[in-house]
Amino acid sequence: MHDWRIPTILGGLVLAMGLAWITQGTGVIHNDPERNIYIPGQLTMPLQVKVAYNPEQIFFRYRWPADQAYVYHDMLRFADGEWIRHGNSRAGPDPDNTYEDRVTMLVDDGGVPEFARYGGYITVGANARFFTDSATPADVTAHPHLGKTLGQSDVRKHLPDTRQDISDWRTVVDADALQAQREVGYFLDLWHWRAGRSNPVGMSDDQWIGEHRHGDAGQGPYTTNWDSDAKQPLWMFDPEATGIHALRWEDIQANRVDFDAIYYLAETFAIPFDATRNWQNGDVIPRRLLREGAGSRGDIRVHGDARWRDGYWDVTLVRSRDTGKPLDDKMFRDQGSYTLGFAVHRNATGSRWHYVSHPYSLGLGRDADIQAVAFEGSEPDWSQAWFETTLFYPGQVNWPLLISRAHAGSADIAEGKPVHPRHSEEQLAHYGVEMEFNEAIIRQWWLTLAAGLFLLAGVLVGLWFSFSPTRQGDRP
Amino acid sequence: MTGIHHMLVHIPVGFWALAALLVLVGALGRGRPAEIAQAALLPLLILSLLGAMAAIVTGFLVWPWQANLYSPLARNHILMSLWSLGVWAMVAVLVWRAGAAAFTGARRWALVFLALLGGVLFAITGTLGGHLAGAPTAFSKILGALGWNVYTTFYVPGWVLLVLLLIGLGCAVLGVRSGRKAA
Repeated sequence: MHDWRIPTILGGLVLAMGLAWITQGTGVIHNDPERNIYIPGQLTMPLQVKVAYNPEQIFFRYRWPADQAYVYHDMLRFADGEWIRHGNSRAGPDPDNTYEDRVTMLVDDGGVPEFARYGGYITVGANARFFTDSATPADVTAHPHLGKTLGQSDVRKHLPDTRQDISDWRTVVDADALQAQREVGYFLDLWHWRAGRSNPVGMSDDQWIGEHRHGDAGQGPYTTNWDSDAKQPLWMFDPEATGIHALRWEDIQANRVDFDAIYYLAETFAIPFDATRNWQNGDVIPRRLLREGAGSRGDIRVHGDARWRDGYWDVTLVRSRDTGKPLDDKMFRDQGSYTLGFAVHRNATGSRWHYVSHPYSLGLGRDADIQAVAFEGSEPDWSQAWFETTLFYPGQVNWPLLISRAHAGSADIAEGKPVHPRHSEEQLAHYGVEMEFNEAIIRQWWLTLAAGLFLLAGVLVGLWFSFSPTRQGDRP
Repeated sequence: MTGIHHMLVHIPVGFWALAALLVLVGALGRGRPAEIAQAALLPLLILSLLGAMAAIVTGFLVWPWQANLYSPLARNHILMSLWSLGVWAMVAVLVWRAGAAAFTGARRWALVFLALLGGVLFAITGTLGGHLAGAPTAFSKILGALGWNVYTTFYVPGWVLLVLLLIGLGCAVLGVRSGRKAA
């Protein structure tokens, strides 16, 4: 007798395994704005960097691909008598093209030792903004330091030792300790170039990270153009200087970008808002007024023209090597060794929807990942090769998780082993995405494991009688 | 426990590799080599299962349980190791039940198929273990080319879970019903 059960059962096993292989990894991960979840289509992207310095200044040049340039940011659209805001932070890309591209760089000179090993991960504390479990604005506003002193309503980047318990954002150390930490260099310098809010006036924002993300002392390159009482802009375009009263919504929706035209509002061509003017539906006034940065916050400038061309942004920033403000900035000295961490926002995304890098060393005459090239004069020749790196989407992974028992590498972190040799950018990107759905994935994984074992048990039972040692009619 | 786990995993890996070879020789070969392979297979499989269970138990103790659950690579390693154990346990039971008859007729093709499936699964398990130990191999690139990035958790959607259960149930029913008929 021909035993047709064996091929049938094995066929079923092949079908089941094949189906499992083809469909694995599907059915759980999806965008969920209610939980602040948006997964970028691309999880990694390239970034190129060059660094040069003369006796007074240091120049950083960044180049990265972007399908489009996003330079419009935070706009007010006139519609039926009201000014509607477009471009506040949201999960994922802004649907109205009103969120700017950015490149940021964290800098340390050794004052924050963990930064050289783990990069920006150390700045992501518990309940950060735009995480699924972000702290509520009411809780942050009520906090004696973050809310009452700093006037903040969300938890942003901060360093581990600025908290008594890093897993609790509320436990900020006292003001004297914070000041002492800053004075010994326990802070990260943050270079923050914005395509909409700083680039048009040739500036980069200059910030630092301690117990919060602070602006340096002085005046930043933008301020808010909004009269909250009158619910209208404070400023408008000067038609004599610009030929327009407002931008047009259709240009913004089409993301028409002309770097030589007016796409931003700046003090040099702004006049007080005229509410009596015959405003038309579709008129747009930027909610940000650009201006010259001043003081410590105005230390970093755009060198040349930072432009998007042929699918790439090419941005060069320059700063004095020694700004004379050691509580705000890290100074770049001959024979110095520094740690850098890069990030890029593109595709009209803000907040945590950026791509970040591993930490890299920078040497001024010292051996390092990135060699700064010394030159004389005012213009680097940029003849050196690019430093090529890969940035990755970090997802929702924070420092309290990484040093907890839930992270298999927490013991390595405790021993001071760095992340870079252990995890690739691709690996961290996938881990970051999976962490956003951790509970659901664990549940589905358990079910898959059990279903596979049940399948094997069923196959065994199915084959049991075919493997009888004395089956009648068998032909050896 | 890490070192002990690394030591113990060599038992199932080595024994299962040898078991796969013995299945091939026993099922497809002839003469004395086939007889030796058939006779040696069951003791080898029993030893391999004991070694595998010891390796799995020690593996669970390398990291805290929560860390195992939170790591996609560890999750995959656990799933593939238990599925490997399941397949090789099935081979052991079937060989034990049928004896020399397991290598005759259509049964031998079933053994060959299961041995190859078990071989692939323990190769994946070992590869994932290499990743976890900080020594990735190119085999994971092959898996990636075939559609599975090992840095993502291996899980299937709900409807596929149902299909797996139904196929497993169908196989069992098929076997039991035909067994009753034969009786």
